[in-house]
Amino acid sequence: MNPDLAEPLHFEKANCLVLACGNTLRSDDGIGPRLAEWAAERFRGDGHVRVVARQQWTPDLATDVAAADSVLFVDSSVDSVPGRVSLVAVPSNRGNSDARSHHLEAHELLGLTRSLYGSMSAHALLLTVGAGSTELGETFSDQVEAALPRARGVLEKTVLRFLAN
Amino acid sequence: MSQTITIDPVTRLEGHGKITIQLNGQGEVEDAHFHVTQVRGFERFSEGRPFYEMPSLMARICGICPVSHLIASAKACEAIMSVRIPHTAAQLRRMMNLAQMVQSHALSFFYLASPDLLLGMESDPKVRNILGVAAAKPELGRGGVALRRFGQSIIELLGEKRVHPGWVVPGGVTEPLSTEKRDKILAMIPEAYANIALALGAYKKIADTFKAEIAVFANFPSNYMSLINEDESIEFTDGALRLIDAKGSTVEDGITATRYTEVIGEAVEPYSYTKFAYYKPLGYPEGSYRVGPLARLNIVKKMGTPKAEKELAEFKQLAPGLVESSFHYHHARLVEMLYGVERIEEILADSRILDKHVRATAGVNRLEGAGQAEAPRGVLHHHYKVDENGKMTWANLVIATGQNNKAMNLGVLQAAKHYIKNGKFTEGILNRVEAVVRTFDPCLSCSTHAFGQMPLAITLVSAEGEELDKVVRG
Repeated sequence: MNPDLAEPLHFEKANCLVLACGNTLRSDDGIGPRLAEWAAERFRGDGHVRVVARQQWTPDLATDVAAADSVLFVDSSVDSVPGRVSLVAVPSNRGNSDARSHHLEAHELLGLTRSLYGSMSAHALLLTVGAGSTELGETFSDQVEAALPRARGVLEKTVLRFLAN
Repeated sequence: MSQTITIDPVTRLEGHGKITIQLNGQGEVEDAHFHVTQVRGFERFSEGRPFYEMPSLMARICGICPVSHLIASAKACEAIMSVRIPHTAAQLRRMMNLAQMVQSHALSFFYLASPDLLLGMESDPKVRNILGVAAAKPELGRGGVALRRFGQSIIELLGEKRVHPGWVVPGGVTEPLSTEKRDKILAMIPEAYANIALALGAYKKIADTFKAEIAVFANFPSNYMSLINEDESIEFTDGALRLIDAKGSTVEDGITATRYTEVIGEAVEPYSYTKFAYYKPLGYPEGSYRVGPLARLNIVKKMGTPKAEKELAEFKQLAPGLVESSFHYHHARLVEMLYGVERIEEILADSRILDKHVRATAGVNRLEGAGQAEAPRGVLHHHYKVDENGKMTWANLVIATGQNNKAMNLGVLQAAKHYIKNGKFTEGILNRVEAVVRTFDPCLSCSTHAFGQMPLAITLVSAEGEELDKVVRG
């Protein structure tokens, strides 16, 4: 942390932050919150893990990201094959951005955190599941339903690896 | 040959809208419109629902200002129940509405407007966003984030949820305030003051560099309307409406929710799904008026809190008579945020705020009821009719954006006429036209999760429909 930059006053410290995004009323877009729900249950009572699920990633989440040693972003992906589970590193974006409203992508939120608080999570990964349908609905497509066990496995393994580090 | 420029969607707004600018054969701006292109239909699908469900249903209209919908809706329900809610419940609601105003204004000022203000209207669009602000002015970025969290945290502490809390109900609120929660809120207040002071200081330093924008950003005489207390101080939750004319004289005072529909009509224009509210005795469009922070500060004589009082006095010096440029909405938001923090502190200093009696109960005692409250961007009106069993038979909502609709359109036209000459425009010029709409902070829709990126396409089309030029962002 750059001592010249003020530390956010109101935040919960966590070794590992699971930060999910999605709309549970938009079929496969709800995979992020669903996985967050599972993670909250799996790591219940573990003070090192904090789970947050939102419909959008907004700039105010920068304080949560700043307070975490590691961040696992969880989201659906319309650019990926339906049901494909991916885990990729998140680059920090401090300048150029397509942000045109108050919601951000994972790399933008990470870059914002770095600019505002000078802190950089040691590890930042993005777990995505390819979305087959984002139509109105509260159930997943067959592909995403089938991918759930694998997505949970990747999430669990990643969080445990973060904690081990 | 005439041409049309289209900006679709307008960026850094709450929701989806577009702007079209019509040029004549000489390339001069002939007309311009701001179009709201979404259809919501909340009034229709509330029919048949029990009236007491209305606050939680109507709050879903918006993810930024659901509290104002909750309050206006609950007040309409209380008119149907014919109850007066306990004092503590009214104060708790007031506090939540103020907290929402602070977080919404913080979002508008820091996340959506500050890229134009701090980085410049002509700055590179790739960095003209909250990330660019954070990189260039991190202390202001942190202040904005903290103020938004301040408001959200209070809403969450009171209502258990940051967005769409179910705590405001017909008759009052569901839970009283605990000592622990009160103390948590009080502990956040000093930091909130510091961040608002930082923002006000920064804004005042740069405001003079926007003289050209101030001159043409919806800068014209108009009527204004807002809630006001009997002692002429600002009010967001109770009080009655006052309408003033372009000279500041009161046109009509004491407009209660019940009387609202007697005096306010809604016109329809073919280019927008949002209606155009107007004062009936003056007709449309002469009876159009502005609402929101600029209107509130033009109407009130005092804020009622010491720090904001000083800022109001300074604000009123911005222009002789009323402050007419919509550019000053930004400044007004900062003054209101300061007021919000001060008022919350005052409310919490009263020991009655911990009283346990926070809800009145009753059934259907009237078949019609109306309620109003100030949303961050202007007054909000809910009007319901029910049957003997309390089922909704009819609803009408008049939202702030509809009341500012005419002014936004005239503002877009004014700026477009000033900046676009000989059919020539740059990205920076079009950003200024968008920025006019941003000053009003219209809330077109925020309750749905936008999936994917929002492209911005500006097309120049001839009268024959031929595409002459196109610029695509994103």
